Parts: sequence; structure tokens; C-alpha cells
Amino acid sequence: MESFFFGPDKQQLFGSYHPPLSGDGQVLTVICSPLFSESARTHRALRKLAISIAETGRHVLRFDYRGTGDSFGDLEDYSVSDWVEDVSSAVQEGRKISDCSDVQILAVRAGALLACISLGAASDIQRLVLWDPVDDGAAYIQAIRRAQAENLRSEFRSMSRSERTDGARDIGGWRVSEGMLEEFRALDSSAYLRIPKDKLHVVSTASKGGFLPGGVATEVLPYPCNWEHVRENVINPQPVLERLFECLTKT
Amino acid sequence: MSNENLREEILQFGDNARLLGILTLPSLPLQQTPKLPVFVFLSCGVLHRVGPLRLYVRLARTLATWGFSSLRVDLSGRGDSSGRPELRNEQTLLADYKEIVSILEARLGQSQFVLSGLCSGADNALVLAQSDQRVIGLLLMDPTFNPDDGFRLRKFLRRLRNPARYLDPMNYVLWRKLKAALLIEPPLMIGDPPTRERSRAAFQAICERKGRALTVFTSSASKQGYTKLGQLARTMSLPGYEQFCGERFFSTAGHTFDLEHHRRRLLDEVQQWAADFHNRD
Repeated sequence: MESFFFGPDKQQLFGSYHPPLSGDGQVLTVICSPLFSESARTHRALRKLAISIAETGRHVLRFDYRGTGDSFGDLEDYSVSDWVEDVSSAVQEGRKISDCSDVQILAVRAGALLACISLGAASDIQRLVLWDPVDDGAAYIQAIRRAQAENLRSEFRSMSRSERTDGARDIGGWRVSEGMLEEFRALDSSAYLRIPKDKLHVVSTASKGGFLPGGVATEVLPYPCNWEHVRENVINPQPVLERLFECLTKT
Repeated sequence: MSNENLREEILQFGDNARLLGILTLPSLPLQQTPKLPVFVFLSCGVLHRVGPLRLYVRLARTLATWGFSSLRVDLSGRGDSSGRPELRNEQTLLADYKEIVSILEARLGQSQFVLSGLCSGADNALVLAQSDQRVIGLLLMDPTFNPDDGFRLRKFLRRLRNPARYLDPMNYVLWRKLKAALLIEPPLMIGDPPTRERSRAAFQAICERKGRALTVFTSSASKQGYTKLGQLARTMSLPGYEQFCGERFFSTAGHTFDLEHHRRRLLDEVQQWAADFHNRD
């Protein structure tokens, strides 16, 4: 694995490139991770998946969006449109480093919305595999807020009113800008209509309220991932990862 | 990566480039910060080097504005670092530490360190501090707290004196109360938590080296019996402890400093505490 920063100064993204372990690799997979705490919770799973895919002779690029992970900046300085731009930059960087023309995407949760908005018009993306895609930005934020409120009620009972009020501004513990919240509220399943249906493949776990778009290859696996939980428990469901691996490595 | 205050470099180092860490450097030339120690953030639990809610990233970048360099590192088997399946917990930690120190000395020519971490990261810092003279500081967030010997008995007697609390339906469920009265719930451990004697030896070493330590406890430490500011100092009962070691209690904060205002308060505390290194002889 080679890690590096890429992109323009003051907007640099952290990337981890997994070169193919054998052969010259004709396919690049770019992984668009989920957002907020889901990103740290899936870090281990997505790394493991990237290594497995690289072992089959494919290139893989993982990256952190601006203001997240090891990338530049603070979360509250960025907006959804910045992250949409980051997906394009990552694909461009991946192409450059791998010299591949065939690109496929694995996008997780709200990362799926970003990927589809970013790459909707691009004809050179071969396939998008979506893991538990989010279909409604407003409901997504609301669900995180609900979990946060529940957490505040159960775990932070000794907090003062002002602390509680301040804490209620956070989204799952993260401070985000009003602009970002507004952009989230405008996100909906129309993002998926930008992509030709034959390029989409949805892997859904039995999570409550999972999104299953019509007319798209979809499979539901009975291994629920507890996404709506603000705590830092790790999401690493082996059967789901195996299925994603099969989807991303079939020729 | 760089901006006006800092630069960051990715280090892949050690045997077979097994370990991955991010080195954060202040934009100031090294000559202007020659005596400042380097902070080493040890990954906590199964989380990778950014820490919970990016806590380590925020700390590293804030410290850089004060002239401190730091390395936030994935220990073996965590984040982007490969494991050492042939070694046990502490052997792995020692092997990792050797490689961390070696890369920092090679890269920065630096030989004084502040070991930092949350939870198991803090425990690992305590384990490493005693034996390495180069460690002159500890920044510990929710390390394992080992209460003194009489703690369990006092807690049990205190609860016996107030049985109504166990019968209050608005309070916790009865069995949980009883369990809490008799037991101290073990925290989730990734690694080998230091014993009280080992923690004491680590703090003693810091005092002898005329270093600095800051320990920050959250509400979660109450599960291990930490309920009052100053309890660690009393438990350690070391001469000169309070001169070198600070203690803070964020009694309303969650274990991972889950809310932004707790993280900001922590950053302020760390910044004020770290400023003392500028005045160190």
C-alpha cells in the first residue's frame, strides 16, 4: 500500500493506493467511504476489502474527503459540493496513478449519494457497487440527530442545559456548517437516476429502512449493520464483505 | 500537505514498512523549536490513527501551531499498519515503539517524547514511559484508573447506607445497581492495562525526569471508580507529583469526547499545559 496526499494546496486529500499484487491490473476500484462516524467504523472493513481486491490483480484507491480522516481542513469548513468534487478528484488521481481506463466504484451509505452525483454524467465508469446506499439526505441527518439525542439522554445525564443545547447542534458529535445541512436536505434518490441502471449494483443489509431502488440489480443480505448508532463500534460484517468482493472482482 | 501553520508527511516505516503514521510539523523552522519534545499519539482501541471523531488530528494540528511536532501512528494490527501475529500484546507494543522512536530520531534528530493517547493508547503510554529516559511527558486521556485498596469496600458501604436508591424505579434497574455496588465493571480492553504499581512507576519516572504529565478523565472513568478530581494524585501518592502532573476531570464528557464543545475544551487544556514545555530547562 502507498499512502499520499493529492489535490490542490489547502484542499489536499489523503489517499491510500493498493497496487495489484500480480499482473498489470486493468481495473481500478475507487472506494467512496461513508461519512461522519460511519467512516471510522468501516475503516477496517474497507481496508481489508481493498487488500483482497488488490490480491486479485486490481488497483484500489481509498481516500478521505476534505475535513475528514487525515485530509486537509476541518469538517465545518466544507460542504457536500466539496465532497462531490473530491470523488471526481479521487477518480482522476486513481486513473493517473494506475494508468487504468476501466474504473469501478464502491460507495458506502451517503458516499453513494456523493458518488452518483459526482459521476452521474461520466460515461467512463464501468460499474458502481453501492453498500446500503442512503436515499434521503434529510432523513439521514435526522436519523443521526435522533441517535445523538438518545445518546445525550442516556449517557450525558449530568450535563448542564447549556452543554446539552450546544451538544444538540452536533451531528453525531460532529460540528457541521448550516450550508452543509442545507445541502444534505436537498439530497434524495434522484441522484441514483443519473446513473444508467445497468451500471448500478446494490448490496443491502437488512438494516431498517434500507433503500432498494427499482430496476437495479439488488441483493439483500441478512446481516444487519447498525448504522444508526453514534458510538464508535466497528462495522465489519464478513458475509457482506465477501459479497462486495465478489461483485467487485467478477469479470 | 501543508498550510501556513503546519506540514504533514506520511511515514511508512519499520520492518517491511509495517507501520503507518502521519508526521505533523510546525511551519516554524526546526531551529526555532529545538528543545520541544515530539508528541507521539498511540492509536486507541480498534480505531485508526485519526482517533475518535478526529481527536488526534485536531490535537496534532493544534499543537503544531504552538511549535510541536507529532506523530499519530497506527500500532501494529490497527488502521493501516500490518499486524505482528507472532507477538503478544506487550511484545508488539515494544517492537512498535522501537520503530517509532527510530524513525523520529532519524527524521527529526529528536530524542525527547511526550507519549499520548486515549484509553488503551493512554495505557500503552504508561507501559512505555517508565523504561525510556527519552519520555519526558505524558498526555493521558481516560487511562485505566486503579482505585486504592479500600475503594470497593467504601463504595459498598456507601451504597448500603442509601438503600432507597436501589428501589427507586426512576433510577437504574435493580440488578445493575447491585452489580455496580459489588463490582467495578471492567472497561473494554485492547491490550494489557497497566497495574497501579506500573502507572505509579511511570509517573515517578516523569517526576524524576522533571517532565510533565496531564491526565484527563471523563464521566466514563466513574465505572472504574474515578468520581472526583484529584483522585489519581491521591492514589499515586508520589512526592512532587502535583508539581509535574496535572489532572482534569471532564465529568460530563463521554469517553471519546463525543461532543464538539468537550473536544474544544480539551484542546484548550492541552494547549495551556503544553506551553510549559517552552519554559522547561
